Amino acid sequence: MNPVEVQSLSKVFETKEGPLFRKVPKSLVAVDAIDFSVPKGEIFGLLGPNGAGKTTTIKMLCTLITPTSGDAYVSGFSVMKDQQKVRENLGVMLTGERTLYWKLTGRENLEYFAALYHMESSYAKKRIEELLELVGLKDREGTLIENYSTGMRVRLSFAKALLNEAPVLLFDEPTASLDPQSSRLIRDIIRDLKNKGHAIILTTHNMEEADVLSDRVAIIDHGKIVMLGPPSELKEKVKSSDIIEIEARNLSENAAEALQSFSEVSKVAVSALDPSEDRGLLRVHAEKGKEVLPKILEFLVRKQISITKVSFIQPTLEDVFIAQTGRSLRD
Amino acid sequence: MIRMETTSGVRAILQAWAAIFWKGIKHYTRYPGNFVLYLVIPFLFTLLIFGMGQFVGGNNAATNFAARTGTTNIIVYEILGSAVWMTSWVVVEDVGVVLRDEQMKGTLEQNFLAPVNRFTLLIGMSLTDVVITTGIFFIVVGVTLAIALPSAFLTIIPAFLALLVGLIPMFGIGFLFAGYIIKFKEPYILTQIVNLLFATLTGTYYPVTLLPYWVQFLSGVLPQTYVIDDMRRIVLANQTLVSLYGSVFILLALALAYPAIGYAVFKQFEKKAGVTGEFSKY
Repeated sequence: MNPVEVQSLSKVFETKEGPLFRKVPKSLVAVDAIDFSVPKGEIFGLLGPNGAGKTTTIKMLCTLITPTSGDAYVSGFSVMKDQQKVRENLGVMLTGERTLYWKLTGRENLEYFAALYHMESSYAKKRIEELLELVGLKDREGTLIENYSTGMRVRLSFAKALLNEAPVLLFDEPTASLDPQSSRLIRDIIRDLKNKGHAIILTTHNMEEADVLSDRVAIIDHGKIVMLGPPSELKEKVKSSDIIEIEARNLSENAAEALQSFSEVSKVAVSALDPSEDRGLLRVHAEKGKEVLPKILEFLVRKQISITKVSFIQPTLEDVFIAQTGRSLRD
Repeated sequence: MIRMETTSGVRAILQAWAAIFWKGIKHYTRYPGNFVLYLVIPFLFTLLIFGMGQFVGGNNAATNFAARTGTTNIIVYEILGSAVWMTSWVVVEDVGVVLRDEQMKGTLEQNFLAPVNRFTLLIGMSLTDVVITTGIFFIVVGVTLAIALPSAFLTIIPAFLALLVGLIPMFGIGFLFAGYIIKFKEPYILTQIVNLLFATLTGTYYPVTLLPYWVQFLSGVLPQTYVIDDMRRIVLANQTLVSLYGSVFILLALALAYPAIGYAVFKQFEKKAGVTGEFSKY
């Protein structure tokens, strides 16, 4: 059995919405019968836009959310039946910097969690030393977390996930809000962990990160896995189209929809680059892109959209997502 | 892949408790405001009640007080009630709110990710409060006895023992609220209403025997009622814990019942929170 086996895992949230005394029950399918497995020494990327179901999947795997149906196994233990055993076999970094005690120092945080993981104290001490060195926080181990920068907090949260040397590691947006240097450090450590044989699940909406780190990627949308495979294979599937990337101001969904009606255009997705400046990014998948480009530009100019940059690009995982769903990952 | 060296069984539980305890103490020392508040409130409320009695009760206030309570030492009588009420306040507010507090800090999920039993976590989080409430009790009651009734200063020890027995059911009540608060949020509205209700029902500032009969029934199921009464008998009427065996027995029975009920209710809410994804909601 692989370290992670997910079988028809679903989560439906039952909520009530509406004014007081007139609330109407509503069901939200967050994860819809997904299946996947992660073998030893693999980085498995869960890629999707916000609200796609990535974090819910992670939280079901780490027993924080009870699945509605299906099951998942971590090192052979069921998340439905053997929750404590599952937690023993997991190292988890959840998204957000408020996952540490701000009135404790970096070292005190790690010592506290080491005790909750029942780590033998002399071993924990040694392990904490190693991890503080690894994430570059040795010289700030005695500083209260409230005085850490965002990047330092994220690095310490990452170190916390590695404390118990679990065979399965779950990282939820591990490099979100990190500077490029810290992001590189975290990615290097993740690669090293993979080489040591850990099974790693990584959720991100950063497609470049998923692309460079993951051995296989599952693209998740509206709770379903819409594509699964190695990034190179997924990108190969959209190589038959040319991909035109247009940076512009005053882009609208209407313009994108109108472009979609061009016979040469297979998919169009628009995403905001800088909402304060009304800057957006249009990605157009088209057969014979060079031939259709003048027609597209003429149409956009007529719509009074000011174009700042046009380029032909190599397909990315974002394009795989667009090709599959017709929407951008940044939506 | 190297697997870590772990502890197990009782040693693992003790290690987790020690870590949770020290984390709590560090938080108290680094956020000292709450401790100061807990120390000041018993004195302020006692002065308030004392002032009301003196200014509104008229010339016979002290005589009437003695007739109804059996003591002329108003300050000691009231401060004992205040100290127990404050202890109960800390337990309900801290144990009841601790998980919600962790939830709002974002650390609750981190605790629940660890392979530590949830009951171990709750007990561990309560241990800090045992020390805090003990500190509050010794400072508030010790200072008062030293000034207002020095001859009875040493009765603080048996009075504390009565409190210690009463703390167990009080923590049970705290567990009950802990589960409720994970689900329904808004912890302070609930705990403040409950704490004020406890002050009214448990004879904090007057004997419960003066309450209507049906209210006394409610007082009878609350451990604070017995602790306050026992302490007053020990400090002001020279009785011993042994002579108060009847109420000690009731406290022990409540010490079995409340933690069991509290934990069962907590588990139910915890289970529901897992289904609704409540742990991460702020």
